[in-house]
Amino acid sequence: MSENGQSVAAPDSAGGVDKVIDLREIDVYYGRVNALSKVTLEVRQGEIVALIGSNGAGKTTTLRTISGLISPRTGEVRLFGKTTRGMGAAQIARLGVGHAPEGRRLFPRMTVRENLDMGAYSRGDRAGIRTDLESVYTLFPRLRERDSQLAGSLSGGEQQMVAIGRALMSSPKVLLLDEPSLGLAPILVDAIFEVIREINAKGTTILLIEQNALLALKTAVRGYVLETGSVALSGPAEELIASPDIQRAYLGM
Amino acid sequence: MPDRFRSLFRADTGQGQRTRGNTVFWILSSTAAALVLMGWLLPWFVDAYSAGAGFSPQDALISPPTGVGTILIYVLAVTMVILVASPLVEPLARLRGTTFGRRADRIRLIAALVGFALTVVIWFLVSVIQEEPLFGSFGPGTYTDSAVWLTMYGYALAALVYGARPWVVGRQTLAFGIAVLPFGIFLPLMFHQAPDFLDWAAGSLAIYMLLALGLNVVVGFAGLLDLGYAAFFAIGAYACASFASPTHNIHWPLWILIFLGAAIASLFGAVLGAPTLRLRGDYLAIVTLGFGEIIPDLATNNVFNLTGGPNGISGIDQPKFWFLNFSTSPRWYYWSLLLVSLVVIVLLRNIERSRVGRAWVALREDEVAAASTGINTTTTKLLAFAIGASVSGLAGAFYGSIVSIVSPDDFSFSVSIAVLSIIVLGGIGNIAGVILGSFILTFVIFWVLPNMNEWSTTLSQTVHVPGLAGIDFSSYTYIIYGLALILMMLLRPGGLLPSRARQIELESGGESESLAAVQGVA
Repeated sequence: MSENGQSVAAPDSAGGVDKVIDLREIDVYYGRVNALSKVTLEVRQGEIVALIGSNGAGKTTTLRTISGLISPRTGEVRLFGKTTRGMGAAQIARLGVGHAPEGRRLFPRMTVRENLDMGAYSRGDRAGIRTDLESVYTLFPRLRERDSQLAGSLSGGEQQMVAIGRALMSSPKVLLLDEPSLGLAPILVDAIFEVIREINAKGTTILLIEQNALLALKTAVRGYVLETGSVALSGPAEELIASPDIQRAYLGM
Repeated sequence: MPDRFRSLFRADTGQGQRTRGNTVFWILSSTAAALVLMGWLLPWFVDAYSAGAGFSPQDALISPPTGVGTILIYVLAVTMVILVASPLVEPLARLRGTTFGRRADRIRLIAALVGFALTVVIWFLVSVIQEEPLFGSFGPGTYTDSAVWLTMYGYALAALVYGARPWVVGRQTLAFGIAVLPFGIFLPLMFHQAPDFLDWAAGSLAIYMLLALGLNVVVGFAGLLDLGYAAFFAIGAYACASFASPTHNIHWPLWILIFLGAAIASLFGAVLGAPTLRLRGDYLAIVTLGFGEIIPDLATNNVFNLTGGPNGISGIDQPKFWFLNFSTSPRWYYWSLLLVSLVVIVLLRNIERSRVGRAWVALREDEVAAASTGINTTTTKLLAFAIGASVSGLAGAFYGSIVSIVSPDDFSFSVSIAVLSIIVLGGIGNIAGVILGSFILTFVIFWVLPNMNEWSTTLSQTVHVPGLAGIDFSSYTYIIYGLALILMMLLRPGGLLPSRARQIELESGGESESLAAVQGVA
């Protein structure tokens, strides 16, 4: 706390808003099972940060904790410089956190358009919703074609587009993406990551979970490696790619 | 095979293109045919001699009309035949590969208009001017009015469906509403000699329809299974009973009490909802079931000396002001309930299409995804419970006032089951389906079953089968629920009028393929 706290304190007091996501030593339990222990992680304005790790390392739990679906037992989640203690998922979403959850989790019996509209649920500005819908359709022209098709009947790639598009419809300041490449053909994976970079270039901060560690680290500026519920390694993406441990464990080199 | 069958009943818009959603067209045209026929036959059913304004073929045979009357009667007969045959001829023609164009519709429209006019003329001649000789020897009988009303209504309906077919097919909900509303409004006048019928319509149909509409919010819209829904009904009824009876010597008007009943019930809805928020599916059902048992038990035990114990509260006020005296005729209850039901239907429809409605759909589909799109799952669920309960409380207040006595037995588990059966039968999540379901089930349970004993006794005397007289049909309620639900699940799992979501689920085969599909049976 003391060591870490000091190094963190300086930028925090200077420009606390700069830190979009700030996890401070969070512990998360599912019942009696410890899923995350003392995870400290931060994402700054405008970054793409990758969260990598093997199955069960706690990546999805981390994202869920940030978006308020789970609350940490100890530690603190700070978003945009404010603590989220006592807030529900709905309130956190309203702060500007867009979450494209694991396994896409679309509303399968709603159309593509209705799914996207649900993303804008907590917004009141119709003009803004319209422009955002337009920009989602520009990012994913496929979705415009599939506009009135049921989300459940789409292909995996299209569903992923809807999941990302739905998260974007809340006009988020930070976007949490949980395995956007899961189950997609390689060519689609490249396309999705292209879009992720595009979204980021427009100013949206992104925290990304990815199985494909190399791709994730190539896209991100910084990365965190989770191992059995705690941060094993973190740093600039190129350093992580260069690290022999990472190469052996995650990049298969 | 079923597709081919269904295509027979597909209506044309007149330009030859097929459109979706012709159910309403077929319902309306068949109803028109049935009404025209019924209007003709009603005097014959009732009494061949005393009744009829020359509407019944039977009457015409017994005492044939003369002069102009003959012409009128036979022209009327022709229009009737055309309209009764219409809904049958069209599918048959389609079966043979031919279709009817606009010309056929025009002929039917003319037949309907002529029929309407002739009915009015004959009724006028017989009842008002008493031109009996023209129509044989009969005058205005006791049941003539019902016959005239039904016949006129049938002709008007036929004129609507055949005269404006593209519109009816295109705007089916609106068309259905416009076609049915006058019937609802004039019903007490049409059946003014049948107070039993009005009692049923106000006391059973309207009350259960409100209950079903309310439960549909919880089960259909929000996807939360509630097996103790009768509890809110009881709360509304006891609220009304307490504030409008000699028991506590408070006499508030019903118009305040329906809102009070709704408010208290919705409060209880939220109270029940709060601890059950984390429960889903079966677990939630069990908790609500318990709640549904607790409330009548509390009433039986005369909790806080408020509920009058097992005997309940009696002598509940029936509203009376100015010329409206509710205790003299069920028609005032009927009209108030019609108005209230319409308001409730419109409100629920709007809620369904509002933000909250969309949030319910999202919640039903995927709670986690709903939460991460910014939907407050807690308040959204509580709102469903509260709104559902408030409609039930409203129905309860009316119920208390109509029957004038409430006791714990009125709110047993069977009420919850009846209401649930209505929405399953009609179509979970679809307001139109729920309305249809409440018509059918309340008709069977509160009209057919209670009358069945009498009918079977009469029948046994007529056909000399003594065994028929001894059957007590009122004990078959649960068999009827059971059979109805089993048949429904087998034949139309989404209900008679499935909601969009259910339809999609069934058409796409749900999450996994059924065994029958895998084996190639279906």
